[in-house]
Amino acid sequence: MSLLKDNNEAKKLNRLEVTPVSRVAETRDALTLTVELPGVGEGETELTLENRTLSIKAENTVQSFTDYTLMLTEIPEVCYRASFDLPERVDTAGIKAASRNGLLVLTLPKREEVKPRRIEIAAG
Amino acid sequence: MRAYLNTMNNPWRVFDELLTDFPIEFFNTAWRARTGRFPRVNVWEGEKGLVLEAEVPGVDPDKLDMSVDSNVLTLKGERTQSDGSPAEFQRSFNLPFELDSANITAAAKNGVLTVSIPRKAAAEKRKIAIEKL
Repeated sequence: MSLLKDNNEAKKLNRLEVTPVSRVAETRDALTLTVELPGVGEGETELTLENRTLSIKAENTVQSFTDYTLMLTEIPEVCYRASFDLPERVDTAGIKAASRNGLLVLTLPKREEVKPRRIEIAAG
Repeated sequence: MRAYLNTMNNPWRVFDELLTDFPIEFFNTAWRARTGRFPRVNVWEGEKGLVLEAEVPGVDPDKLDMSVDSNVLTLKGERTQSDGSPAEFQRSFNLPFELDSANITAAAKNGVLTVSIPRKAAAEKRKIAIEKL
């Protein structure tokens, strides 16, 4: 266990890790994965794809106001973390992500079906 | 015995184990249950008035309905539940003072709604004469 370099680092470590609320919808061409990340600014979400595992990591920003006293606290500073094992039918190269109103919407296109094909037999 | 020896070698191990065994999933669930109300809020009070922050992920700011009745602030709207189905939500706050409802401002960013509510200017003190009967 090493000593923490600075206060910021300690603050980050102290954040409660939570799994964000997420849902999946399926259409003919794609799967849509929606993850709720309220308070996470644009470009502050870390999205990584390793093999077929999609990982999401983000920290929310909870505003504080000077000259005001906090009366009711229900929104903690958290670190959102989630990972999803993508099914084989997803084309990982075509994944698109967009964020709007505190939602991260991932479009996971389905792969072109591997169609059965005819194999010619060369005449011996 | 082995565990004990390990503890002897590395006294910090106790803490490592505490961290490893920490039932994070349980606390996630407990945390959700405790804050099951929607939306979750932070409320700040100051001399000028009040600032309310509400987490409303996925809620279109245009479809958020906010109303004030004397000292009760109500937030209403429609959200998408985790199973994808829509659900109406409503939450009211009993505020400790009368609000200047005409000067409420609200802004939404990244799924967080920030409402600032000024206090109503205190009514002038009025002396009431007591009639002698």
